[in-house]
Amino acid sequence: MKYAAGIDVGSTQTKAVLLDASRAIAAKALIDTGANVKRAGQRALDALLEASGVARSDVGFVVGTGYGRYKIEAGDTQVTEISCHARGAQMMYPATRTVIDMGGQDTKAIKVGPEGDVADFCMNDKCAAGTGRFLAGAADVLGLSLDEIGEISLKGTRPVRLTSVCTVFVESDILSHLAQNQKVEDILAGVHQAIAARTIGLVRRTGMEDEVTFTGGVARNIGMVRALEEKLGTSLNYSDESHHIGAFGAALFAVDHLLASEQGQIPAEPQPTEWVDE
Amino acid sequence: MAQQAALDPKTFETFRNWRVNRTKYAKEWQERTGGKIIGYFCTYVPEELLYAANILPVRVLGTHEVQDVTEPHIFAMFCPFCRDCLAQGLKGRFDYLDGLVIAQSCLHIRQAFTSWQKHIPLDYSYYLPMPHHVQSPHATPFLTKELETFRQSLETWLGRKIDDDKIDEAIDVYNRNRELLWKVYELRKQVSPPLTGEEAMEMVISSQMVDKRDHNAALETLLGQLAKRDSDRSAGTRLMILGSEDDDIEFLRMVESCDATFVVDDHCTGTRYFWNNVERNGNALSSIAERYVKRVPCPTKDWPKRSRVDHVLALAKEYDVLGAIIMQQKFCDPHELDNPAITKALNAAGIKTLFLEFDVTVPIGQFKVRVEAFLEMLAEDDLF
Repeated sequence: MKYAAGIDVGSTQTKAVLLDASRAIAAKALIDTGANVKRAGQRALDALLEASGVARSDVGFVVGTGYGRYKIEAGDTQVTEISCHARGAQMMYPATRTVIDMGGQDTKAIKVGPEGDVADFCMNDKCAAGTGRFLAGAADVLGLSLDEIGEISLKGTRPVRLTSVCTVFVESDILSHLAQNQKVEDILAGVHQAIAARTIGLVRRTGMEDEVTFTGGVARNIGMVRALEEKLGTSLNYSDESHHIGAFGAALFAVDHLLASEQGQIPAEPQPTEWVDE
Repeated sequence: MAQQAALDPKTFETFRNWRVNRTKYAKEWQERTGGKIIGYFCTYVPEELLYAANILPVRVLGTHEVQDVTEPHIFAMFCPFCRDCLAQGLKGRFDYLDGLVIAQSCLHIRQAFTSWQKHIPLDYSYYLPMPHHVQSPHATPFLTKELETFRQSLETWLGRKIDDDKIDEAIDVYNRNRELLWKVYELRKQVSPPLTGEEAMEMVISSQMVDKRDHNAALETLLGQLAKRDSDRSAGTRLMILGSEDDDIEFLRMVESCDATFVVDDHCTGTRYFWNNVERNGNALSSIAERYVKRVPCPTKDWPKRSRVDHVLALAKEYDVLGAIIMQQKFCDPHELDNPAITKALNAAGIKTLFLEFDVTVPIGQFKVRVEAFLEMLAEDDLF
């Protein structure tokens, strides 16, 4: 049996998904990208092979995506993370028309067509204001881990108002709130609201249509999910595996390629894929 | 992505060398002709008048390097282009200039001009009050009078008259240049254009810094070469680029390495510079004035009617583009105001747009993701 893989080398983490020819998930992998981008791609592929027991020679096509997409030596071709997130989100949640992807360095709003194609998109500018890095900076200064700040923010009853969403200034901003004896949960609620407000700006530029699917590493943060839902006035599709959606989309493109290249074989009508917990 | 057959890089070498070695060219020109050199801000400066006085007009452009000299002189929220231009002056890179001229366009570039006047010794400088309201019937008579004053100012500085027949000659040389550029642009309508957007930009920018007679001769040669140029290179996705001042060759090169070709532009380093000729009406100065009043406008002057929107749309259709990249200098309010109308018109015509904001340096990696995603979006077929 032939397999296809998608590898998403992000600024913080590298995600990989292995699919069989019927688009069922054979394995997933998640590693820290680190400084050696080239090695991260290879390590992620190795992790997929180890988890699935599939031989490298049975992986017929590999699509690379993410900012390190051209550094993946095993990559047969590259597709931008924008197309991959749209494709992956639409496969997971077929009614998706808007994708909000929040990663370590950037945030994207993607308008998705009925076939999972990109109709329009918008990204934050040069700086990392209001992205995952901003949350990491806030967690750092409060001495908390990224995994816990979302839950804590939900306990906030009187969110503070931050003066900027600058990733550098967030620390001094938070310190001044601490000096005024503000509660940690209120500070964190303010942090999440500030990012949500900035994200809504991006979404408004492309135009929002239901359903909205939240992807990327930050989608695992329940505080961010709730803050966005409140501001957007709609519920979001999200899961614990949202950070894998870019790699999943890349793997779907890889399967397309695999099937198209096997002459005469028409791809089966794709069915929405359920995540299988390992 | 498909591998593109390369076009012969030597064809545009002359233009590239002129752009890169602009200082060397200017100094040699001065030695050769004994004429004076004037730097100009903004393409609303009527170069014909300078050229008639044996003056070489050289457009002041930046170099896209990070710099630390303009902070005390110009606001940080003024556009990166005007700061980059002023930096060149403060760093002495235009020390060969005899004078400096600006025509009123936007406040940002005027700030660069006035700061230059104040801090850098100049033998001559002139502010030409080019009217803003170019749609007014009074604009041409107003500018004609202003050109008379400008002519007198130049004559006083030079200590000699500028002959009428010299002005006439200058109009001919400049019109010829525009016609030749236009002919080259016509070739870009072909299914496989014999030149890239990067090359077209090299060509037009170089015309803003060399003697038009030299440039005309090079364009004549170029047209002969382009007729024979091997056009195996597939155009890929046909794109338009438009917006603020743009001499970011590196960006165009990056986009055109992604199986795409810029086939037309609306930039003042492109079509806005040369699209309209001087049409003679019996009075040389009035003819020149009319040309600058009626040229494809910069958004600072395009009101109350937004005439540029129709023009951009017509270009996009004539050159059969699939998508348009709208580039804007950060903080360029006039363009920012026009962009929604232009985006709307293009989108309604089925031409998708990508909006990007310039700074002094271009973040190539970050822009590449956006450009590639835009091209994926434009791809009519499935990706595979």
